[in-house]
Amino acid sequence: MEMFKSLIIILLSSVLVNNYVLSRFLGICPFLGVSKKLDQATGMGIAVTAVMLMATAVTWPIQYFLLDKMGLGYLQTIVFILVIAALVQMVELLLKKFSPSLHKGLGVYLPLITTNCAVLGVAINNITDGYSFIESMVSSLGVGLGFLLAMVLFSGLRSRIDETNIPRPFKGLAVTLIAASFISLAFMGFAGIVDALFA
Amino acid sequence: MKKNHNLSILLKGIIKENPVFVLILGTCPTLATTNNVAGAFGMGIAALAVLVCSNVLISLLRKIIPDSVRIPCYIVIIAGFVTIVEMIVHAYFPALYDMLGVYLALITVNCIILGRAEMFAGKNSVGKSALDGIGMGLGFTLALVLMSTIREVLGNASFAGIAIPFLEPYKIEFLVKAPGGMLVYGMLIALVYVITSGKAPLKKSFSCAGCPNAATCQTACTASAEPTEEQKGDAQ
Amino acid sequence: MKKSVTSTLVLFAICAVMAILLALTNSITAPIIKQNQEAAANEALLEVMPNGEGFEKMDLSAYELPATVTEVYKEKNGGYVVTLTTTGYGSGFVIMCGVSADGTVTGTVCLASTETLGHEKTFGANFIGKDAAGVDATDTVSGATKTTQAYKNAVKDALNTAIILGGGSVDLRDPAQILNDNLSAALPAGEGKFTKLFIAEVIEGIDAVYTADNGKGYVFVIGEEFIPVDESGNTANTTVKTAYDILVASTVEDIDLTPYADTLKYITSAKKTASGNFIFEVKGPGYGITGGDEYHPASGEYIIVRVSMTPEGKIIDTLTVSQEESKGIGDACADEKFYGQFDGKTESDYKDIDAISGATLTTNGYLKAIERAFEALNTLKGGSN
Repeated sequence: MEMFKSLIIILLSSVLVNNYVLSRFLGICPFLGVSKKLDQATGMGIAVTAVMLMATAVTWPIQYFLLDKMGLGYLQTIVFILVIAALVQMVELLLKKFSPSLHKGLGVYLPLITTNCAVLGVAINNITDGYSFIESMVSSLGVGLGFLLAMVLFSGLRSRIDETNIPRPFKGLAVTLIAASFISLAFMGFAGIVDALFA
Repeated sequence: MKKNHNLSILLKGIIKENPVFVLILGTCPTLATTNNVAGAFGMGIAALAVLVCSNVLISLLRKIIPDSVRIPCYIVIIAGFVTIVEMIVHAYFPALYDMLGVYLALITVNCIILGRAEMFAGKNSVGKSALDGIGMGLGFTLALVLMSTIREVLGNASFAGIAIPFLEPYKIEFLVKAPGGMLVYGMLIALVYVITSGKAPLKKSFSCAGCPNAATCQTACTASAEPTEEQKGDAQ
Repeated sequence: MKKSVTSTLVLFAICAVMAILLALTNSITAPIIKQNQEAAANEALLEVMPNGEGFEKMDLSAYELPATVTEVYKEKNGGYVVTLTTTGYGSGFVIMCGVSADGTVTGTVCLASTETLGHEKTFGANFIGKDAAGVDATDTVSGATKTTQAYKNAVKDALNTAIILGGGSVDLRDPAQILNDNLSAALPAGEGKFTKLFIAEVIEGIDAVYTADNGKGYVFVIGEEFIPVDESGNTANTTVKTAYDILVASTVEDIDLTPYADTLKYITSAKKTASGNFIFEVKGPGYGITGGDEYHPASGEYIIVRVSMTPEGKIIDTLTVSQEESKGIGDACADEKFYGQFDGKTESDYKDIDAISGATLTTNGYLKAIERAFEALNTLKGGSN
């Protein structure tokens, strides 16, 4: 029960309190780029969540059973990024072969995920935070869902922004960033709520 | 003439093709590490070092690396240099290491570096690639320092850790937090547009097609490019 | 085919070269990093113990310490600096706590944390200069109870660690655990599950009796001694044997309360043993009865107290059967430490007990219940004789 509770806390705080996009700025490039349409935003969010879960499932054992055992901790970054790149490649091939329809839906987002800093970020953060395997998986799920949430929320806002008449210098990315700033401001409010829920 | 050309390679990264404000690359560190000047400067220099080293090595190996595996090769080289820089910072600048945290390792996936590898170092001579790396790195550093100065002075009433007492009662604390970063960045992009009167080069001309982030970038490209074109048309 | 082979080879070669470069850099930087970390750790040591000198890391393998303790540094003048990892609201935080030779906290600092509100960074200042009792009395921060309570427990653990390392001993178990361990040691057949027996007979020299939940025997407590009695009634101690025989021989019969429905309306049940003792279950108006006032149309729940007493009016045993007092206070009044105070008292001195602090109404409810038990005793003694 205690463990279940701590997992819920990890999940909620990585979705709301420590939302990667809105409070840690990880994965902000696709956030600004892809979040224009709702279906794109959802597709990207789901693909990122899936890759995060897979990447964690692979990198966690590699770190603890391979790198740490052999004293090769300094190869972390290089190994993790290669694993993520290979994983993404593999998933894309598999999807293409076995589920072309799903590939059509998600496939276009896969290659961009390799250099999505949120994926590498969550893999490294799970190690530095000293999470157990299950905690790491839950935290990855939370970060992925947080990313999805931010993307979906923002795509709605984006379509409104595109229709309004904005002073010329602010058009495009400038106003997008300013809007993102306000969403981020709203998310800061969650810090107190989650703590109070479980205090 | 040739000298001039080299100089322009160096300078274009600093002003005309500034990676942060004009090309809108490497947004994560730009936002995350600019809440204080010291951290931002450190981040800029670390990225500069990685950029120069990887540009030089990739340029050296450009005839050896087969086209089909070039992206994985670039990633390995960049991740390697990032780790080296990370270890050096950890050993000799522990305070900076603590300040930058995971963002140091995340230089690996900074699009500026992979983008320059793909667009420039993979096609040009060693010397030019080094100059390009220095130029882009300096442009990145300058942008980070500019942004962090605004955020730290106004948000924390200090500069590089030195307190500015008379600003203390007026500090806008949220500027050093996450939302403040996005707000200041958005304002600066608009400001750069005004200063260059909309003549900043399109992101398309920089082309990030080779970057694995390409599709994302392209959407971003169109997102930021479309209004620019339109604005240009209006301006003329 | 050839092309893909060369591609793979080149990729591998690049990987190998980078790995070698990394290994080289690592061999140069790793010792410096380690040195830096040690220096930083020493700095933290001085922060929590400003007057400390000559810190030395201790080997803890020979000691049994609280589970939170990860590292201890011994200081030259007899102090200790303890590093503890504790779980608060998030995945936990690490604090370092200095304990001086006289057992007070010299300082604490949070080394690493994933908590969200940041109280762990400032809360430590509350403990400086306090001893164990002072730490116990420190209030947690409402709204961040988990974090601050964890911090408090960790500081307590640090103080205990200093005592253990200083050669003293500290029982890290809570009182219930200690009791259960003692009972299990006396009667292993009880498999660690015991219930306190409610006693209605006068048994000289016995403080308490516990029965094994699986029926495998009893444990009699005399002072600090735990004396087992097996299921067939065998025991080595004569006092215990006598007491056991009395308890086994004891029989009770219910007393019909209908004739007394008017006078003894607060007695819910009454029994009489063959030896003439009475057992009453009495309602007492505590805070659970709105404001302790039962003269207006009473709403809420009474405190139900079970009391056994001799015909001469001496209380043998008491027990809280049920109570609906407000949280915290209710726990205190259901604790044997409180109601056990009535044992052995008579009608003239039962009011000389320590009240529950801050809970006058609850304490009064108990006193009222005992008073009613004496009333019932006087009535029934007269009636039955």
